[in-house]
Amino acid sequence: MLEFELNVNGERHSVRAEPRKLLSDVLREDCRLTGTHVGCEHGVCGACTVLIDGQPARACLLYAVQMQDHEITTIEAIAAGGRPGALQQALHEAHGLQCGFCTAGIVMTFEAYLKENPHPSEEEVRDVLSGNLCRCTGYQNIVAAILKAAHAKA
Amino acid sequence: MPKPRFRHIGAALPRKEDLRLLTGHGRYVDDIEIPGALHACFVRSPHPHARIAGIDTKAALSMPGVFAVFTGKDLAQWTTPLRMAPPIEGLHPVEMTTLPVDKVRFHGDPVACVIATSRYLAEDAAEQVEADYEALPAVADFDQALAPGAPLVDESVPSNLVSRQAFTTGEVAARKREAHRVVECTFSQQRMTHLPVETRGCAAVWDEGRRHLTLHIGSQVPHPLRTQVAARMRLSESQVTISSLDVGGGFGQKIALYREELTVAAASRQLKRPVRWREDRMENLLAASHAREDRCRTRAAVTKEGRLLGLELQIEEDFGAYCFYPANYLARVVAMILTGPYKVRDYAFEVKVALTNKCGNGPMRAPMAITSWVMEGTMDAIARELALDPLEVRRLNMVEPGELPYAMPTGEVIADITPRETLEAAVKAIDYAGFRARQAAARREGRYLGLGLCSVVESTTYGSRFYKAAGIPGSGHEAAWLRIEPSGAVNASVGLGPTGQGYETAFAQVVAEGLGVEPASVRVHMGNTDVAPYGMGSRGARGGTAGSATLFLCARDANEKVLAIAAKMLGFDSPEGLRMVDGRVEREVLGERIETGIALAQIARTAYLDPTALPAGMAPGLDFSKTYDPPPMTYSNAAHACEVELDPETGALRILRYFVAEDCGTVLNPFVVEGQQHGAIAMGLSGALLEHMRYDEHAQNITGSLADYLVATATDLPRFEILAMHTPSRGNPVGTKGMAEGGVMGSIGAIANAVNDALAPFGVIADRQPLSPDYLRSLLRSK
Ligand code: FES
Ligand code: FES
Repeated sequence: MLEFELNVNGERHSVRAEPRKLLSDVLREDCRLTGTHVGCEHGVCGACTVLIDGQPARACLLYAVQMQDHEITTIEAIAAGGRPGALQQALHEAHGLQCGFCTAGIVMTFEAYLKENPHPSEEEVRDVLSGNLCRCTGYQNIVAAILKAAHAKA
Repeated sequence: MPKPRFRHIGAALPRKEDLRLLTGHGRYVDDIEIPGALHACFVRSPHPHARIAGIDTKAALSMPGVFAVFTGKDLAQWTTPLRMAPPIEGLHPVEMTTLPVDKVRFHGDPVACVIATSRYLAEDAAEQVEADYEALPAVADFDQALAPGAPLVDESVPSNLVSRQAFTTGEVAARKREAHRVVECTFSQQRMTHLPVETRGCAAVWDEGRRHLTLHIGSQVPHPLRTQVAARMRLSESQVTISSLDVGGGFGQKIALYREELTVAAASRQLKRPVRWREDRMENLLAASHAREDRCRTRAAVTKEGRLLGLELQIEEDFGAYCFYPANYLARVVAMILTGPYKVRDYAFEVKVALTNKCGNGPMRAPMAITSWVMEGTMDAIARELALDPLEVRRLNMVEPGELPYAMPTGEVIADITPRETLEAAVKAIDYAGFRARQAAARREGRYLGLGLCSVVESTTYGSRFYKAAGIPGSGHEAAWLRIEPSGAVNASVGLGPTGQGYETAFAQVVAEGLGVEPASVRVHMGNTDVAPYGMGSRGARGGTAGSATLFLCARDANEKVLAIAAKMLGFDSPEGLRMVDGRVEREVLGERIETGIALAQIARTAYLDPTALPAGMAPGLDFSKTYDPPPMTYSNAAHACEVELDPETGALRILRYFVAEDCGTVLNPFVVEGQQHGAIAMGLSGALLEHMRYDEHAQNITGSLADYLVATATDLPRFEILAMHTPSRGNPVGTKGMAEGGVMGSIGAIANAVNDALAPFGVIADRQPLSPDYLRSLLRSK
């Protein structure tokens, strides 16, 4: 067991965990932030995407202990003060989620992407979105919502 | 579309469930915190078929954090076996214990369960459980299963042919003799799995003092699941609560009570500690539930104009090793509804289902998925062999509006459907008339386009009379309650198990409509068996039909009592001329609507807190319940049209355009319906193009990760263009017909037909899925 601190959503969390414990599990179990979901644990589905120093990363491919000197952002930080962000609002309005299990990973991926690419084309959005699996929506409304959020911000 | 008869039903309201899911506050099974919970991990067989000579648990038990290791022998004492023995002719009864005792039957079969203080420690210990196997020869597919001398997957069944049914009506042999041509074709659909992004999992909490089990689990069918859990643990149904809050997709995988879940529940009771389990993706691929893997052959007797005189169908399905459902249940529906919108009287089918050493099959979104591909592929084959236009062959054989209701040769009655209208709309949208010229021009440039059509008649909702006729125990009814609380708040519930279909929103609209309130003031509770009434859950497409009808009728009862009270409060003898709109009572006087000044909150207060002011003889409170049994079968319909481009060098396909014209009756919420259409078409295309659960010739599963089991991503799928052509059903109080599986049926057929159209100049036919680049190239190379 190791004791270490993590900076998650601007708060310090003291964690006692085995060095092999995945960031996804530490966030969910030790930090009690269950909005980050786990769909495959082998880096394919994208459900566990969080931001590490502002860049999207798969929490199931990282050990928590490696993340001590980094800023971690999870879905719980996106709706500041309980008000959904622009992308979340667009997903709501465009019916871009059904079961919602993949949603956090998609929001985190595009929170980062849209900052750097504020005017993506549909093709670019689909290309980036291909790193997140969604079994419910057929992606069409997610793509529409991302484009809508980009326009709203522009 | 006819003019709307509803105020709230049909409104495009964004979903009530979204906010919590978007902000990371959903409550999926693994998000529920349970203090003191132990973690389960299963030891699984590496062999497809083997005797269990012994299981040594000593090393595992001595590891840190390990509480227990349970095997099939332990579970056999604490739980009863699952016996599947409906009285269906040609179906052999089968039985399975909770965990295998004597032998394992597929690669991934669970043989022991380790319980430890963390999932990590449980996994470590599972690796130290020494199971001693004596390998047996295995059967890896349908043909091996039926070969003479094949090893028996289940020794209690005389052969691996676990089910065989045949049916004939009319004189198919005579029709074949009279026919201008008998067109024969084959269709082979691969093995797949549901792949919800949330894998299976559960958390069992046994309360020793109350002798009560709470099972947190993502379930499509909370009440039928409770019945199973209670019976198999020898508990009464009042000792078990199923709680299913948010569920990360089901698609048919979250219906059955799986052996792992029952093991976890029994372990919690034995250890008197909460026990939880979340399977990893490899387990989900290997051992949750598989689907499909069926081969079909049709023989169509036709005139030289392409008119269908008689039809034969053979289905062979590889069902895997264990039966969580009657083995004939999925394939037989295909045979029952095959002819869909087409007219034919003389029809025969034979359905054979074999056990093999693979993970057991279950219903996956559109259990009858292959139906439309087979029928529409047959239509295309007729056109091809007779050099006719495939659209004309369809037009010639399709039932006319004036011929409805029409009895299919199996006796299934289609009514209130519009297959001609949707077909014509789809071909117009995709410019069928201009396509051949575009296709010819493209070919001159060395590009290969193809256009595929697929009409769908979707069996959405099974009534009790259907089950009775099929010999399957069970009911098709649904149940609901509605309570208006003293403050006027409206709570309602229905026995369905939501997995993303937006029920909380769409059903609030239905209740609002029936009662006369705003949808915002209605809260629909589902998924907890102590709260919801005993309903049959979510399967097929029964939510929008059976579920909405039950809630609507229940809300109408409530509306009647509310208005009776309002009449008394206003000093009228009868509620005639009164109605409630958005929670306020109005009165109609000479065609004008006048506010009465009475609101639902006042009525509710009277009903609960001042019952002596109620009409004479009326009981206090505003508490209603209702059950409803839908017609034996409800059908909706659609036509799919898709255009593809095939690269003959690489075998790669690009979907250029995709249209669906659909009639699912009254739409509760167009957002939700379109979302279901997208999702279903995507699942169909994903399967038709990519997905393939593969076993090698020794029945070893070689598809253990998402790198091997490919599913469609955002770049694989086109934009879907939807033509809404909804006409209300007369057989349902709300007018809904159901939908959400037909998209799978239609897209599988449309893409296959489009690919064969593109392949036509090469003289080859693709009759197998997935339509992978490898497969298409192999066809082209054969030329
Ligand atoms: S859980 Fe991390 S990518 Fe799937
Ligand atoms: S909404 Fe269910 S997986 Fe994406």
